[in-house]
Amino acid sequence: MEKKTDVAPKATPLETLQEADQILRVPALAPLVTYPLEVLVPEARQQTPAVGQRATRADGRLHGLGQTKYIDDWYFPGMLYAKIKRAGVASARIKSIDTKEAEAMPGVVAVITGKDIPCNSFGPSLKDQPVLADTRVFHAGDGVAAVAAVTEQIAAEALDKIKVEYEVLTPVLDPLESLKLETPGVHAPNANIYGHKVIKKGDVEKAFAESYQVFEGSFRTQMVEHVPLEPHATIAMWDPNGRVSIYSTLGRITLGRADVARTLGIPMSRIRMIATIVGGNFGGKNEITTEPALALLSKKTGRPVKCTFTRPEEFYASTTRHPLIMDYKTGVTKEGKILGRKIRLVLDGGAYCSWSETTLGKACILSAGPYNIENLYAEAFVVYTNKTMTGAMRGFGAPQVCFAYESHMDDIAIALNIDPLDIRLLNAFEEGSLSPTGQKLQSVVVKESLLQAAQRFGWNTNGNGKGNGAKS
Amino acid sequence: MITVTINVNGEKRTASVPPETSLLRMLRDNLNLTGAKLGCDVGDCGACTVIVDGKTVNSCLMLAAQADGRTVLTIEGLATADRLHPLQKSFENYGSLQCGFCGPGVLMSAKALLDENPSPTVPDIRDALGGNLCRCTGYTKMIEAIQVAARAMRGEPAEKTA
Repeated sequence: MEKKTDVAPKATPLETLQEADQILRVPALAPLVTYPLEVLVPEARQQTPAVGQRATRADGRLHGLGQTKYIDDWYFPGMLYAKIKRAGVASARIKSIDTKEAEAMPGVVAVITGKDIPCNSFGPSLKDQPVLADTRVFHAGDGVAAVAAVTEQIAAEALDKIKVEYEVLTPVLDPLESLKLETPGVHAPNANIYGHKVIKKGDVEKAFAESYQVFEGSFRTQMVEHVPLEPHATIAMWDPNGRVSIYSTLGRITLGRADVARTLGIPMSRIRMIATIVGGNFGGKNEITTEPALALLSKKTGRPVKCTFTRPEEFYASTTRHPLIMDYKTGVTKEGKILGRKIRLVLDGGAYCSWSETTLGKACILSAGPYNIENLYAEAFVVYTNKTMTGAMRGFGAPQVCFAYESHMDDIAIALNIDPLDIRLLNAFEEGSLSPTGQKLQSVVVKESLLQAAQRFGWNTNGNGKGNGAKS
Repeated sequence: MITVTINVNGEKRTASVPPETSLLRMLRDNLNLTGAKLGCDVGDCGACTVIVDGKTVNSCLMLAAQADGRTVLTIEGLATADRLHPLQKSFENYGSLQCGFCGPGVLMSAKALLDENPSPTVPDIRDALGGNLCRCTGYTKMIEAIQVAARAMRGEPAEKTA
């Protein structure tokens, strides 16, 4: 068994050491370049020389050596470990929070609640999210108190000693229910619909009247968690001179700095945000989570404080992908040419706005698909529900609508007995096509890509409406 | 507190830890070997994989006391003082790690596989990586890199697979 651990022989000749120095070099600094750079701009529709080249990552070697330092790999002298008490109830009024017993525990250094936070609201667009819930709980993952203790285990035990009394309210869980005006507001008195977008082009009703057939389809997608392998982690260190350094897995540190400044009520110049290598983001680490609470714990204790999310917290206390309810109505000619399309999207925004506005816009703009549609009416709503908040995730709503419009196209092709490839070729964008919002598109290769893909994997275009599936 | 002595990366090291301490916590917090990562703490993700007496182990599920007197290899012991392990070299060349968080675990699983089976087939490699989750790169490039490393370790030319 001993032989399995390869350990270097101690005596090494100079040449080997020189070679080792070369092999084990840290990523080399790029040579200095003077501006302006001469950049090779490829012709439109031409492949760039970069495609097909193999490139190694600058940090690839350190990753392989296990030397990359993520936040959880950092340690500072005297550091405390923090844990967040989660509400565990979807909607409730907080009657009281009793932290006395937790504070009395040996090893617990400080406990804070929402009342300790100078300005208890933040968010990338709407400032609707509390750092720690103080009066109302809007979803089960809401933090209600934060504990700093000498070990993670003591902090976790202290959470059980915190007594929170709730007046449990009926939660709004269905986005379609939330859409109705008579449904009680999640953030009353504010309305549940907190974002709305309409894209209108031509006359859809007229197009439907002229259509050979009108198809309807309803599609739903589910909530998706980013599941980065590295959970959210933060270390906050408050200086005696009133400045705070925050090491965080945050992807957008400038935005995070503004949010931390707002919640702590101190100027941005007193906040130093340090981002290191992130172990996966996918959009889930685009806004602050517990950073202000940790900063305050550090201020209260005078020691560095670290908090790493547990895997369950990753799922219920960080943002997720928006579930969408997508209703499509499309009028086509006998040949499958789309004359008009009407779309309604309902985005389940969860408890807080987060990046919903971006998602709403992108989902709505892309909801018609890469097709030339003269008459279009696309309407999108994003509503509050008492569920885990939804926010940024790869594509911002684009994957959800893609699933809907492409499924819808397949349904139409099958009903009209047209090859699914042909119906797309008939309607797809071309060079110079106008997007639903009037953008003139360039470098459009939808048809070429479709044909090339069909050829590569042997799609049988026999025009029987079943495509390759009909090949027996 | 209990005293645990392990032979880690060829060096005998001792730490005094609370009895509930996992091997992962001991490696990271007491021995400052932060290569193995804490991803899920329940043995699902494999970011904490280390080799104990030649077998891969989710170190978050093994108590430090269970490792007492045993031989542990972590990612820090994979490269020698003057050379990268062929796996580390091929993982770098083939861009098999993106964010890198799963990397130490994947490399240890691959190392244990190649120790047992110098000529693994693709299904063998898939089996060996069955306990390691990756969220960025995907597994194709890892499998490719492991094949290249296996060939290099057998002394064959490391040409690209078809």
